[in-house]
Amino acid sequence: MLMLLKFQYSVSYKTWIHHAVVLMAMFFICQAYGQEDNNEAWQVHGFIAQGLIDVNGSSFVNNDGALSAELTEVGINGSYQLNDYFRITGQAVYLDGGNRYVEGARIDYALLDFSVYQDNKWLVNLYLGRFKNNNWLYSSTRDVPHARPSIILPQSKYFDGFRDIAMGSDGLSAKVVYSSDNYGDFDLYFSYGASTLDTEDVKLLLGDLVQGKGKQDFDAQASIYWQPHFSPWQFGFSVLDSDFNYERTSADFFYDAQFSFQQLSSSFLYEGERWEFSGEITQSKFSQLGFYNDEFKNESTGVGVYLQSRYQFNNQLSLLARAEKFYANKKDKNGSKLEQNTGGSIPSYFGYQNDITVGASYQLADNFRVDVEHHWVEGTSRLTPVVMPNTEVNDQRRWNMWAIQFMYWF
Amino acid sequence: MQVITHASVNVESMTTSQLRRIYSIRQLRWENSTPIVVFVLPSKHIIHKNFSKNILNIFPYKLDRIWNKLTFSGLGVAPTVVQSQEELLKAVSNTPGAIGYVDNLNKETDVNVIKISI
Repeated sequence: MLMLLKFQYSVSYKTWIHHAVVLMAMFFICQAYGQEDNNEAWQVHGFIAQGLIDVNGSSFVNNDGALSAELTEVGINGSYQLNDYFRITGQAVYLDGGNRYVEGARIDYALLDFSVYQDNKWLVNLYLGRFKNNNWLYSSTRDVPHARPSIILPQSKYFDGFRDIAMGSDGLSAKVVYSSDNYGDFDLYFSYGASTLDTEDVKLLLGDLVQGKGKQDFDAQASIYWQPHFSPWQFGFSVLDSDFNYERTSADFFYDAQFSFQQLSSSFLYEGERWEFSGEITQSKFSQLGFYNDEFKNESTGVGVYLQSRYQFNNQLSLLARAEKFYANKKDKNGSKLEQNTGGSIPSYFGYQNDITVGASYQLADNFRVDVEHHWVEGTSRLTPVVMPNTEVNDQRRWNMWAIQFMYWF
Repeated sequence: MQVITHASVNVESMTTSQLRRIYSIRQLRWENSTPIVVFVLPSKHIIHKNFSKNILNIFPYKLDRIWNKLTFSGLGVAPTVVQSQEELLKAVSNTPGAIGYVDNLNKETDVNVIKISI
């Protein structure tokens, strides 16, 4: 009930209505196109998760360091097969993660799935509408508690502050699947679109003092995943290119700005009977023009890497260990230049963030699980807001957190 | 363990690779373009575990991950889960294009039994 009382929309009603109208239009177009209907074509699934999180020494979740119940995730999705070629599907979620991302409901995806071609080795699908990012190892399930490896994902890759931008886009995406008895399984994804940023999203990214509007111009991504035939190994590679701009208001402290973001990433995954190993390495180039004044320019290349292992102890219990490193600027790994260039106003530990995580998952019943984990963190570069960080609360180089979350899905 | 299909499915034998493609939702149609309707038992069910490990050579948790990804990303549709072997047999025999598995088949049931080769 408390959650319902706090329920706020993080996307505008206009956006919701837009998605609904588009889906309804798609529905009628595809009904007309289709040759046959499937009366058993409806599927509905969902999840609900609630937890407690306690962060000591940073503003990752809240500013006062108190034990927090801001670890709520609820989602429901539906899928309807219109005919042999078209399917419509969508998922809405409600999230409350404190400072990690904007609290409220979102449309994770709402799309038309067009089966372009398929035979016994090839599948080609086009997705039109709001689609999820499927290009990273855990990007498509990062907000699905029972389908991700930990409560808090590696922030070097799955930074919660970028969650709503990185989760998906409005536009067009494509999936190409090829299965070879000789070379293994290949999955290719392509996407092009943009996300809507509202005022809260912009403040989360840039800082509480901004008054202007932010807009994502485009987000283009591509990836390939390869699993050799009958192998427990999988290897992936992805690229991303995205531009944003900030438009000041007349009474703004800040100036118009353009932000550009390019990312290269590769991953591996080993899935054995009891042991699982995975890792991702990511290089991100960030360019900024404007914002502090019209002439302000900044370019930096950040690097993040994590290695993760999981051990299935028995049918109920699995254990997790992970080590992660992230440098916001690979030419300034200890953040000393950051501190120097800002006249000491931003401490050096805002230039990196390293995390050691241990955790456990226990299956309490079918479709009901509890996860618990502890993080030891050094550095604060993956906290919100990003461009103008909160140095008042984050006055320590080392901080830690633990979390417990119960989850049910259907 | 026997792999079964609806009686109308005109297939006598399959390779493990073909079965893996079907259960990992990488092949969605039979050779004659009829949609494949996949039925499974719950992940914890001993017959599902045996089928997954010994026939498909995929660990059950890996199948769960593939299906979860499809279900919660909008990319596709996961198999239909039924709660018992009897229910699965009934579903396969009543659904055109269906495929499933049982460990003890009643000879009078109107389904196809598929020969599996490596």
